[in-house]
Amino acid sequence: MPGRISRRRIAEYVATELLEVKISKVKVLQQLAAFLVDTRRTAELSLIVRDIEYHLSEKGHISAVVTSAFDLTAETKKAIEVFVKSKTKADHISLSAHIDPSVLGGVKVSLPGYEINQTIAHQLTALKTRFKKA
Amino acid sequence: MSELNITDLSADLRSAIEHLESNKNLDEVGIVVRIGDGVAWIHGLRNAGYNEVLNIETPSGVIEAFALNLLEDEIGAVLLGDASEVKAGQTVRLKGTVLEVPVGPELLGRVVNPLGKAIDGGPAIKAKQFGLVEREAIGVMGRKSVHEPLMTGIMSIDAMFPIGRGQRELIIGDRQTGKTALAIDTMINQAKQNTGVVNVYVAIGQKFSKIARLVERLKAEGVMDQTIIVATSPSDPASLLYLAPYAGTAMGEYFRDNSQHALMIYDDLTKHAVAYRQMSLLLRRPPGREAYPGDVFYLHSRLLERSAKLSDALGGGSLTALPIIETQAGDISAYIPTNVISITDGQIFLETDLFYQGIRPAISAGLSVSRVGGAAQTSAVKSVSSHLKLGLSQFRELASFSQFGSDLDEATKKQIDRGQRLTELLKQHQYLPAAVWEQVVSIGAVTNGFFDTVPAPQIKAAQSALQTKLWADHKADMQELDKGGKPSEEMNELIKKVALSVAKGFAV
Repeated sequence: MPGRISRRRIAEYVATELLEVKISKVKVLQQLAAFLVDTRRTAELSLIVRDIEYHLSEKGHISAVVTSAFDLTAETKKAIEVFVKSKTKADHISLSAHIDPSVLGGVKVSLPGYEINQTIAHQLTALKTRFKKA
Repeated sequence: MSELNITDLSADLRSAIEHLESNKNLDEVGIVVRIGDGVAWIHGLRNAGYNEVLNIETPSGVIEAFALNLLEDEIGAVLLGDASEVKAGQTVRLKGTVLEVPVGPELLGRVVNPLGKAIDGGPAIKAKQFGLVEREAIGVMGRKSVHEPLMTGIMSIDAMFPIGRGQRELIIGDRQTGKTALAIDTMINQAKQNTGVVNVYVAIGQKFSKIARLVERLKAEGVMDQTIIVATSPSDPASLLYLAPYAGTAMGEYFRDNSQHALMIYDDLTKHAVAYRQMSLLLRRPPGREAYPGDVFYLHSRLLERSAKLSDALGGGSLTALPIIETQAGDISAYIPTNVISITDGQIFLETDLFYQGIRPAISAGLSVSRVGGAAQTSAVKSVSSHLKLGLSQFRELASFSQFGSDLDEATKKQIDRGQRLTELLKQHQYLPAAVWEQVVSIGAVTNGFFDTVPAPQIKAAQSALQTKLWADHKADMQELDKGGKPSEEMNELIKKVALSVAKGFAV
């Protein structure tokens, strides 16, 4: 009886297939969906997607999410893209913006498996922790 | 949190805001997938190390956890804080360090939790150094053989099962047999004899009421200033109970590594093993014998190996350990007790039967042993103790015949009488550890036959009278004897003379 295939291996397979483009993207995703339904692992979908993003980022394809309290200008977004490229040496960067007033100010750049959080909410959490420990 | 001064708090807050940390590096992050029973399962963090501290960001601040299960798809991390704050989807970062606790003389006199946070209501601990909670034991070449005595002040232990600095001596027995009492008396003796040994008492899953009583007693005896108490209660998470002995050892190692001597008391390792079992089962590790994980031996062996006598090149400091194990119905062949017996350098076995017969401390002379033995005994006590063990073992063999009083030959009766006197002599009140000179004169008086005319029930009174008379009339000699050197012929003659004169007052 075959053992359970780890999420990491599933994600690695899907990421490789998507990049090699031997099979169409639709086909690959259909395969993945069928596998998850067949093995009753649909609840792990979001985690598998995260792993796929991680594997794609390792191969130079990064999807980044920029979170801020207010809408960012095109220049700011460009600067963030340049910054991410310099840090990750990625070939392709796909940047999407997300507005979240709860961060109060600053930006948070979320990459697969990594993050740089310069939001005010994050700094206040750190302050709260420091005073709690005292 | 200690009392707040609003002005200071406001100034601190302004300063903290001005110096907000700005990290331009990418932090590796993961997310909490599920949380339950004090264990958080985390997705991501592929570079997390074993035992590495993880920071879980909650709305009310950062909760720390440490990674114990590094699986292919997720990490099992045990929480060190309030689990109710942690929810699925929260971000987790690597702290970049393994667990550390504050160490140093700033902890003396304080009661702390296993994370080094003060829980005695006093000011926050401001330690200058931090020690690793998990640390490798000193290698072979860094050690020296145990040769210095650690006087417990308990006559039966110092005479028959002497403990040396750097030794691990297990205290084992059923509940309510006086295990903690032995440990407390040992701590009190370090202050009374001014040995300079620092005590670290690790309370694992002990009631806080018991710890409060202990603190009061140590303060009353003047011991608290050289004691650190690492306390966990039964209501604390299993992770803190698991960490407590290691954290305490890190605190003791500071003194060991700085050419001082420290005494570790782990009260008790049975609860420690149970807490580890709970954690391991929740981490889905495969259960072994009695549902304990397969590495429960390693849990205690790596802890106790850190207690050692260091070589002169490393400063000559020492860390002595008195682990405590609670047995059920006197069964020392159970799993955890046999594990710890095989690790330690001897055991003091306390029997319930002896306790209820009034023999306290209820030390079983037959089952107790010290594998270091005479190498760690003062010459003074060694000179009088050789006949003690023999006398007691002969008495044990003949004890069943004592009911046939009139039918026995004179030699047997004499051995039984001697054994009864020795048994009576070794009874000792709690919180009254005996100095070296007191032990030498008391044991010598009985083993040399000076008290043969004193009835057994009056031995303690005769002992007290002997000590009082010697201290009153020959204080300088007793102070010399207290240094621990082998008594001279003149000293022996003096003790004999005074003992015989005291015995006359109790003779029937």
